[in-house]
Amino acid sequence: MENSEPANKNYAADDSEVLFFSIDGTIYGIEIKYVNEIIGIEQITVVPKIPEHIKGVINIRGKVVPVISVRKRFGIEEIPYDDRTCIIVLEFEDGEQVGIIVDRVREVIVVSRSEISKTPDAKSVNSNHYIKSIVNLESGVRLLLDCEKLVRDN
Amino acid sequence: MAKFEAGMEAMADMYVFETTTLLEQLDQILMKTESDSSFGEEEINEIFRTMHTIKGSSAMMGLDNMSKLAHAVEDMFYIIREDHPVINSMETLYDLVFTASDLMKAEIELLQEDEYAPTDFSDQMAKIEDFAAVLKNGERSAVQQPAAPAPKTSAKPSLSGTAVKVFFEENCKMENLRALLVINRIRDLCSALEYTPSDIEDNSDTADIIIKNGFDIVFAPAQGQTDNSVIDAIKDCPNVKSCELSGNKQAASAADDGDSTAVRIYFEDDCKMENLRALLVVNRVRDVCEVVSYEPADIEDNADTAKYIIENGFILRFRSDKPDMVLRVIEDAPSVKEYEVISAAPDNKNENVPEQDKKTSGTAQTAAPARQAAPAAAAPKKESRPAPAAGKAPSGGAKQSLISVNLNKLDTLLDLVGEIVITEAMVTSNPDLKGLRLDNFQKSARQLRKLNSELQDTVMSIRMVPLSGAFSKMTRIVRDMKVKLGKDVDLVFEGEETEVDKSVIDQLNDPLMHMVRNSMDHGIEENAEDRINAGKPAKGKITLSAYNASGEVIIVVADDGQGIDPEKVLAKAEKNGILTKPASEYSEKEIFNMIMLPGFSTNEQVTEYSGRGVGMDVVRKNIEKIGGTVSVDSKFGKGTSFIIKIPLSLSIVDGMEVSVGGSIFTIPINSIRESFKAKPEQLVKDTDGKEMIMIRGECFPLIRLYDIYDLEPNTDDLYDGIVILAEGDGKCACLFADELIGEQQVVVKPFSPLLNKYNVKQNGMAGCSILGDGSITIILDVNNIISDF
Repeated sequence: MENSEPANKNYAADDSEVLFFSIDGTIYGIEIKYVNEIIGIEQITVVPKIPEHIKGVINIRGKVVPVISVRKRFGIEEIPYDDRTCIIVLEFEDGEQVGIIVDRVREVIVVSRSEISKTPDAKSVNSNHYIKSIVNLESGVRLLLDCEKLVRDN
Repeated sequence: MAKFEAGMEAMADMYVFETTTLLEQLDQILMKTESDSSFGEEEINEIFRTMHTIKGSSAMMGLDNMSKLAHAVEDMFYIIREDHPVINSMETLYDLVFTASDLMKAEIELLQEDEYAPTDFSDQMAKIEDFAAVLKNGERSAVQQPAAPAPKTSAKPSLSGTAVKVFFEENCKMENLRALLVINRIRDLCSALEYTPSDIEDNSDTADIIIKNGFDIVFAPAQGQTDNSVIDAIKDCPNVKSCELSGNKQAASAADDGDSTAVRIYFEDDCKMENLRALLVVNRVRDVCEVVSYEPADIEDNADTAKYIIENGFILRFRSDKPDMVLRVIEDAPSVKEYEVISAAPDNKNENVPEQDKKTSGTAQTAAPARQAAPAAAAPKKESRPAPAAGKAPSGGAKQSLISVNLNKLDTLLDLVGEIVITEAMVTSNPDLKGLRLDNFQKSARQLRKLNSELQDTVMSIRMVPLSGAFSKMTRIVRDMKVKLGKDVDLVFEGEETEVDKSVIDQLNDPLMHMVRNSMDHGIEENAEDRINAGKPAKGKITLSAYNASGEVIIVVADDGQGIDPEKVLAKAEKNGILTKPASEYSEKEIFNMIMLPGFSTNEQVTEYSGRGVGMDVVRKNIEKIGGTVSVDSKFGKGTSFIIKIPLSLSIVDGMEVSVGGSIFTIPINSIRESFKAKPEQLVKDTDGKEMIMIRGECFPLIRLYDIYDLEPNTDDLYDGIVILAEGDGKCACLFADELIGEQQVVVKPFSPLLNKYNVKQNGMAGCSILGDGSITIILDVNNIISDF
């Protein structure tokens, strides 16, 4: 463990890969280290008595994985799923897997550290709570989401 | 935070496992000897060995506190073993060892947590050392009696003794006091002892002299000791860097080496840390023989020796009259690839006759006749030595038939079997096969199912552990409480060979402990007279019994004490405001079960063991966590029984699938009483509009699943859907669902932590499972549904 960590940090210090997806026309990014796989929308089994943004559970090769609607999480109205709707399966350090439902997956871009800047502390920005940092790309400014908060905060 | 040096983590698991097992064995030995109220030679040796191993492996793991505590206990038993002192206070001895064992167990627990800081055991060590000192003094007065020492002194006139020079580690400071410590340690191993500088106790300047010139000791080993054992004892003292023979006995010591067996050991390639592995071998071998020397000698401190060992092997010289046993120990040690015997003892036998003679006279306690007999007796034994020396053939035959497996691997195996069960259903009931006539396929499918269920049974049986381990831990608790509470109680086991799943047993220890404590504290009468007056034997009795009954294991903790007074319980419940209906309406059974409600305790006084009112509540919670139930039965004046029912296994259940809207729920078969279509005349409504169903004259509340779970049902017409009469927690209710789908074995998968945060369990969902078609079903927990909705 001790050996592998510095290596990771070095990697993160220079470049990190970011997966971008869009929700309601806005593009968000998440660090690729959390992403396990991307699958199409599957049959979701409803689990009663849980918060609305958790849509239920899906079966990924025998594993029961909860899925979260990012739209619902951001307070945006949900739209019917189509063939571009995807579930990004995230895996956290403790091994827990959680799927997030996004409108569509865009691309993976290598982002260097210099392109990442911190978020302003303004509380007024919508869903600022889930945003970790801001990425300045040639194609424009993108928001990087904090996976831990996105999934685990109440 | 790094608890161990790099690379040691891999051995930490092994260490924890080994030490825990040893400590448990220790407890068992102690318990046995205590009830027999005598120490046999064998038991003392066993305790001594156990402590020695713990000391060695703890030191290897860098756990100084553990190692020192074990050393203190070892020292104490060393005195008991060697000197056979008259022990006046057996109780103190047991208390000391039990406490030490407890401390070590607690330390091992701590070790498994992330943040670990070594506990200071110096208090306990001081107590043990004090007691050891008392033992020694007692022994000395015993020695004053003429018999023992007389032949000894005549047999060994060399009072001039062996001279050694001791050096301490650099910068360890206060060398004079450390020297004093050494002297105190070996004082009792020697019949005569001199040292220079001699005023170490009073003169702190001697520290400098010791640093410069070393600390000289001249000693004559006591009865039953050899020079080497004393030197080993010196080397074992804290901060001793080296201890070298400096005087006349050097030659003799070299000769000592001569009658030993030397073995060259090679370790597996790439096993890493060869020096520490070698140390492990040395520690193990120490238990069965006398280790004379090893090469390289500084394996403990010098990591570079690993390289040397890889290239040249590790040379170990030992002396034993059963060398083949020692060789087997070497072979069984972890990571040992191969070994060769370089020099066996017999070669030196003839040249060393005087040495032989001396050695046997040291160990055999009788004088002349034994001395003559000893070499003769030793000779035939030695003839068997060449066999192992010739090769390792004889030791290769006896392999262990038991292995210890990491529980995680078993969990994975069980998961896999679960997957196979699901996949089998996926294949054999594949929609593509519908309407086809496939005789051969069906035949093969049946065969597959048969094999699968056999596989499932086997895997389950691997995970089964007898309850005896959990039971025997209770002996210890009863013993401690017997002393503290002054009650005389017998603990009786019945059916302790009954097996349950490993994951169940882990959850069972706490509840069992609470219940046994409860029985000891509240159950058994305070005074023996009360018992005699009630026509019961003066000695109380607590019975732990276990048996299998219809897929469940039933464990009963019963005492023959005063029983529970229902009046008292009821009064207390009323006072605490936990009654939900008029007091007169409670049945005796209901009243007894009240003691397991949160915040209930009939004991006026809070004792060390129970009375806080959390105990029985915790018991119930823990048991329910593993899918079991607890109930209480009591006869006032006769005794109380706690009855625990737990499922044999947690992971695969027979379930009935029902659909509600688009969702499929699984209700465990063992909580279903019956299912039926309701008829209009069965429906009863109370004044609040609550629905109830009348079955054979009994009324049960109706719970509509779509209602409690906010689902869109296909039908809300009671007479269209299906009603399931389910039982949980001693109560029954009717569950209403759309449709009955069928019965299937399902593999319970726990909810992910994300969902557990939202109390899914409290809402009546026990877990989920994957059906043959890949869809997910939620397994209902009938107990929670009935009690919460």
